[in-house]
Amino acid sequence: MNPKKPLHNLLTGMFVTLALILSACGGGQADVPPGELTGTLSVLEWAGYDAEDFWVDFKNTYPNVTVGFEIGISDADIYAKMAAGNQADVFHPYSGWLQFYVDEGLVEEIDTSKLANWDKVSDSHKKLGQINGKQYFIPWDIGFTSVLYRTDKIPEGVDSWAALLDPKYAGHISMWDDGPGAVTISSYIHGYDETAITAEQLASIQEEWIAQRDSNLFYWAGEPELQEGMRSGDVWAAYAWQGSYALLLGEGVPVAYANPKEGRNSWVGFYGIRKGSENLDLAMKFLDAKLAEATGNNVVNLFYYGHSNQDVMKSVTDPTLIEAFGLNDPDILEKTNFTPNLTAEQRDAWTAMWAEVKAAP
Amino acid sequence: MDRRATFWMLYLPPLLWLGAFFLIPLILMFAFSFRPDMRGDFFQLWQPSLNQYTKLIATGSYWRLLGVSSLMALAISVSAVVLSFPIAYFLAFHGRQRVGFYLVLLLVPFWTSYLLRVMAWKIMLGTEGVINSFLIYINLIQEPLTALLYNRNAVVLTLVYVWIPFATLPILAALQRIDLSLFEAAADLGARPLHQFLRITLPLSLPGVFAAFFMVFIPTVGEYVTPLLVGGSRGSMYGNIIQDFFTKAANWPFGSAMSMVMLAGTLILVAIATRLINLKDLLE
Repeated sequence: MNPKKPLHNLLTGMFVTLALILSACGGGQADVPPGELTGTLSVLEWAGYDAEDFWVDFKNTYPNVTVGFEIGISDADIYAKMAAGNQADVFHPYSGWLQFYVDEGLVEEIDTSKLANWDKVSDSHKKLGQINGKQYFIPWDIGFTSVLYRTDKIPEGVDSWAALLDPKYAGHISMWDDGPGAVTISSYIHGYDETAITAEQLASIQEEWIAQRDSNLFYWAGEPELQEGMRSGDVWAAYAWQGSYALLLGEGVPVAYANPKEGRNSWVGFYGIRKGSENLDLAMKFLDAKLAEATGNNVVNLFYYGHSNQDVMKSVTDPTLIEAFGLNDPDILEKTNFTPNLTAEQRDAWTAMWAEVKAAP
Repeated sequence: MDRRATFWMLYLPPLLWLGAFFLIPLILMFAFSFRPDMRGDFFQLWQPSLNQYTKLIATGSYWRLLGVSSLMALAISVSAVVLSFPIAYFLAFHGRQRVGFYLVLLLVPFWTSYLLRVMAWKIMLGTEGVINSFLIYINLIQEPLTALLYNRNAVVLTLVYVWIPFATLPILAALQRIDLSLFEAAADLGARPLHQFLRITLPLSLPGVFAAFFMVFIPTVGEYVTPLLVGGSRGSMYGNIIQDFFTKAANWPFGSAMSMVMLAGTLILVAIATRLINLKDLLE
């Protein structure tokens, strides 16, 4: 007889009991009123969006669910963390950085029939969260990228992305510290197909940005850094998101947001659910609440970004925000280029190109 | 309790700590540097590949930057040691009962965050900063100097400032160990103060001086926070590029390979330096 048998039986018994208890809890969860629902949800988020304002609908509906935030500092950082086995239930990638999550099986397909607020999202935005025809991501925050400039320092105005590479503004330009961003700008300027950059094109883009360093004061990593540079007058022209434009405009800094002839760039932030998340139900509730109005209004009013809930955008009345979002310009979306999804090869090549720009003598 | 038990009781906690949070990550990073790319599960077995090292060897600008970063670290550590020596000297020989108080004064800036202190340098060196405002106020210049901030000089200046208090401590410790009767003996034999300094103080302080030098040099080669804040577009150091591969490129294998090369480079430099200086002789 195996002397270990009794222990084995005991353990099996314990597991069975535990499993029964857990399944009982799980089964009962559907009937629990929202106010009494408990649990823990973990979110891999960008700094700032962890503030309660940006998930206020969830907080109010499910006050007893604990939401824990871990901060990612860039799309690359969030992707690398998820690839490394981060256990966050929900994560927040942006345009361009979606494809690999699907390719590597890191993201759960979303059953949008369970999202009460899904109807309020426009079809064009829904589509941006689809990969291989399936809805893996929920669009959430929306914005533009363009050239932000000081109207007192550049009275002639800016009508092209090429201003960011113009030696005329030497020492007063600030580019975002980002390789794919640089490739995008060069593609707009030279009319390259951004989805099919050749090795030669990439090499000439690299040369172009190495030369640009002589005009560039600093690469900004966080928006406050850029905003301070614009405020003080050290920076005259910069790669910027419209949140910075709205903020500075509101402060009375003489700034304008260019409508480059090549078109503005447009991006969307998405939420995805980690494949295999044990909190799928809570994560879905979290995503649905993210699309709700109070949360959306806070995105618009506190961070000056657009929100995917169309009701939220229709209710914007602040003239500064209307100007910043281009809500008064019916053609604004046609003048806009959406960031295409990067492949893993493009990601590696473009980021390496940027590292070489920064390391160049 | 026997001696062996005491030994393990004292050494086990730090050993475990270092093993878990230093050695294992280092081994992981080493293993990662032989991964062909980021694809696939994190802890899967992969076919070791020299891909990353081949790419690294082929990219001249990274090697050059490693050289520049080492030279910057050299300049910073030499400056920090030279500037902290008089402070340590004063504390050791003229501080008397107030040594503790002066040491606290020296370390007061460290009660604030490192980032804040570096940001303070931005306020010092900026176009509307303290230095420029003052120079304009006394009419020495009309337009603000833009060469103060966002370049390598600003990085060197800031890092020297950051390291001076740290560099002072090992030098002070070495100076405090000097037997004061040596000076009396030297004076009795007719040595003048300069002579005493050159023949007694300086040689006996050298272990502290070298300790201070390495304490500054080694972490500075891989420095990345300060260049990020005050270096501007042309102030990147090798550490910034490593950081970029981890946080902006999602390319941990290449970042790991770069780290391994830096680690090897620093170890070689330190080995050569210790051989040249022969620390053992100094300590005996």
